[in-house]
Amino acid sequence: MKKLTAILLVLAMTLVLFTGCGGDSGKKEEKDDGIIRVWVGEESAEFYQKVCDEYLAANSDFGYKIEVKGMDTGSVAGVITNDPTAAADIYTVAHDNIGKLASTQCAKPITDEALIAQVTADNPEAFKNVIYSSLNDKEYLYGVPYISQALFLYYNKALVTEEQAKSFEGLREAARAAGCKAITVTGDDGFNMSFAILARKVDDKSTTVKIYEGADKVLGGAKGTSNCQGDDTVAIYRWLQAFAADPNGFKWASSDGWDADLDKDNKGVLAVIGGSWHFKTASAALGESNLGITLIPTFTLTPASVEGLTGVAAGDTFRGGTFADCKCFMINANSASSKYAKEQELIKHLSSKEIQDRSFLECSNVPAYSGSVSYIEQCFAEGKITESQHKMAAAQLGMAEWGIPQPFITSTLNTYYYSKQAPSVLRAIVDKTAYPTTGTQIIEETETLEGVRKALYLVEYIWMHGLTPTEFPATLPAGA
Amino acid sequence: MSTKALIAPSINSGPSFGERLGKRFSNFGKRFADGSPGTKLSHLIFGAGNFYHKQYIKGFLFLLIQAAILAIMIFCPSINNTPYGWKALKNLTLKYTSMGGEFDPVTGQFTTGSDCKLMVLFGFVTIALIIVYFFVWNLSINSSYKADMDRKVGKKPATFKEDMAELLDSRFHILMLTPTCIAAAIFTILPTVFMIALAFTSYNSYDMNVLGTNLFEWNGFRNFVAVFTGEGSLGFEVHNRFLPVLGWTFVWAIFATLTCYFGGIILALLINKKGLNGKKIFRTLFILTIAVPQFISLLAVRNILGEYGPVNSMLMNAGWIQSPIGFLGLHPTDSEKLAKVMVIIINMWVGIPYTMLMTSGILMNIPADLYEAARVDGASTVKMFFKITLPYVIFVTTPYLISSFIGNINSFNSIFLLTGGGPTYTGYQAGGTDLLVTWLFKVTIDQGMYNTGAVIGIFTFIITATITLVTYRRSKAYNEEDTFQ
Repeated sequence: MKKLTAILLVLAMTLVLFTGCGGDSGKKEEKDDGIIRVWVGEESAEFYQKVCDEYLAANSDFGYKIEVKGMDTGSVAGVITNDPTAAADIYTVAHDNIGKLASTQCAKPITDEALIAQVTADNPEAFKNVIYSSLNDKEYLYGVPYISQALFLYYNKALVTEEQAKSFEGLREAARAAGCKAITVTGDDGFNMSFAILARKVDDKSTTVKIYEGADKVLGGAKGTSNCQGDDTVAIYRWLQAFAADPNGFKWASSDGWDADLDKDNKGVLAVIGGSWHFKTASAALGESNLGITLIPTFTLTPASVEGLTGVAAGDTFRGGTFADCKCFMINANSASSKYAKEQELIKHLSSKEIQDRSFLECSNVPAYSGSVSYIEQCFAEGKITESQHKMAAAQLGMAEWGIPQPFITSTLNTYYYSKQAPSVLRAIVDKTAYPTTGTQIIEETETLEGVRKALYLVEYIWMHGLTPTEFPATLPAGA
Repeated sequence: MSTKALIAPSINSGPSFGERLGKRFSNFGKRFADGSPGTKLSHLIFGAGNFYHKQYIKGFLFLLIQAAILAIMIFCPSINNTPYGWKALKNLTLKYTSMGGEFDPVTGQFTTGSDCKLMVLFGFVTIALIIVYFFVWNLSINSSYKADMDRKVGKKPATFKEDMAELLDSRFHILMLTPTCIAAAIFTILPTVFMIALAFTSYNSYDMNVLGTNLFEWNGFRNFVAVFTGEGSLGFEVHNRFLPVLGWTFVWAIFATLTCYFGGIILALLINKKGLNGKKIFRTLFILTIAVPQFISLLAVRNILGEYGPVNSMLMNAGWIQSPIGFLGLHPTDSEKLAKVMVIIINMWVGIPYTMLMTSGILMNIPADLYEAARVDGASTVKMFFKITLPYVIFVTTPYLISSFIGNINSFNSIFLLTGGGPTYTGYQAGGTDLLVTWLFKVTIDQGMYNTGAVIGIFTFIITATITLVTYRRSKAYNEEDTFQ
């Protein structure tokens, strides 16, 4: 009996162990189960499920069920590159992931002519320039924009006047009165860091910053020109260093989250630079009646920040910049080929102007199509949206004029900007902490003008080469 | 069987490995020379000898295994365009044949390219199959030769039923251990070999994007050399951060182990103290801390020590500090030393109750006559603790102490949930409080640098295995195993 029990136990354990090996070995077999699965942002899942249900009711011959799931769109690209077979048929990502997803064959090109025509007709040039990628020397449309996103300012109306919110200096004045910090950002990642590195001169909206300007879109093509260490950028970071050192200046988001800083009870900061997807959290932290929304403020360079620089002068005023990106629908390369035509048909509907408008009304997603501002104004005039929603849309669309969509080339270079830690170098400049470089492993201090310029050159080099330089040029050019 | 016997069964007795191997070779010649025609034929056709001795089922099973393995080797069945068999051996060179990726707008599908990961994996599986082939080959010849010998002494060769009965009787251990050994080979040895092989490749998400999806190459010892020269992003990270992370990992493991160990002993002594009322209540209270999932306790502590947490709020309200203290190194500018001290202290909260529970049991088992004899000899309480209690507890818990030390080297939760490895160092994945295991997580899962992870893993294994073995072999628990029996 004992032996029989032992044998049965061993058999059971062996079966359990090997059960895990059965079935799903390697790449999932392509199968069409009659369902098209769609991943959208968590905040819009309910809305898009409703839209899809309506579409199915109106198109009974569509032939597929549609299941919509809300996902953290920031992590979707990572999920897909790790295991494309586990992802939905149609998914949503920010456009700067297109290069990587296309080159790793995690996305299918869009080939439906009607959809391509809709994308071409509806979208601004800036977006049209960043939704194509190359595959084996052929250029294809990969992403279909349907939400635009840019950074702007949320502030505490109870403690900051509208006039004070227009400049960093005004915010500091309010912070001194309140005994707290003036401003923070929602995170220190590459997207949020754009508020400083993409700052532009107020007079003519100029900046010396260039990222892949004139680059080819073909894999392995010319990378164009990049520049991140012009005199204006160096001066902006030196100004920001001083502002961060001020007891009532800039602070990084606390470990409890930026909303804890903004919270009206904590009074950690008076304002935060964020996006439309932070609207609900910011409202919860301050209460909608206290929530002010406007463009990212301006700041004026001090004599100390321009010392030793020739391309800028004290008194030059800049406005914080932003990556003005778009969220796109993409098709999973592992989706069954029999679904391909219907997936494109569905995307055409979901990205139409009509659905983008409804998405704005119901989920506060600012549309990506050209001229959406007139629809937003009309909605406000008709009382369809609140004042906060109106201000948020206006601020975001206003900031789009002060920003650029994140450019990307080939398969990985934009990813390198993040993964090779360019954003943490930018943070190190603000914090005046050391940063390492490869090769000669020079540890530079970011206190000096030369240190700031070298750190910015490091960021530029990462953009261009995906590596940190083995050594710095004897003389760093100031940039054109 | 004692632990010592399990670990080193042949240290002092039995033939050496070389002797046993030599015996196999001499047996091989003897079997061929003395064997029946069936045994001789078994060298070519598995089970031929068994058929010769009319052991049909056994012979058929041997033949089936040979046919199956040869079929795999010759016909090379494939999964995801990657073959097994001789082609898999050829593929171990990683000379990929197709990059794939041609898109057909009509079908909406890409052409499939080579997958180097599967090429390496299937290559090793094929090598394992070849080893199995020769193992079964030897078994088949042995089986036939045994039947020959039985015939020689006038015994009838065992039937399949008799073999099965023997397997349930005198060879029961083989029946029980075989599935375990197979599972260990598939789930432990194969992944380990695969992981070691990756350390010699360019398998990381950056290089693979340059070559093409799922494609990488053999790198030789370049990854290991890069660790010493600091070349490339891989070498740069490992070269500059390996020793600091390794050093902190050991400091953490030593402190986390000893604080929890001695804290647990002290707590157990206090709770077991004669005359203490409500022992069961105290014991239950401490066990409750184990009942709460560890990650919840750690996240709660993280919030308590946060910038707007109760600790910072109280200190600021009392006017003792002007701005919040970064206890857990969550910002790059926070103090690394403070974060390290804090994680060691917080870890005591989750670690001490375990040792307390175990030590309570041990304390209750210390023979009372030892204390009685000591008391008669006039020993003080302190002396009895240091001369009886502590040596006894340490002796019994040495294996636990070592496993606890190893467990703390791989203590992912405590660090990842409390500090996330911070404070971070600009330009590096490894932060100030990162242990080897959390660093490995960042390097592989966050960065996709699997070859770097494999290199770090190999170095870590060599160091920890050496220390563990040396420590254990020198401990009293190993050398004087029977002293306290």
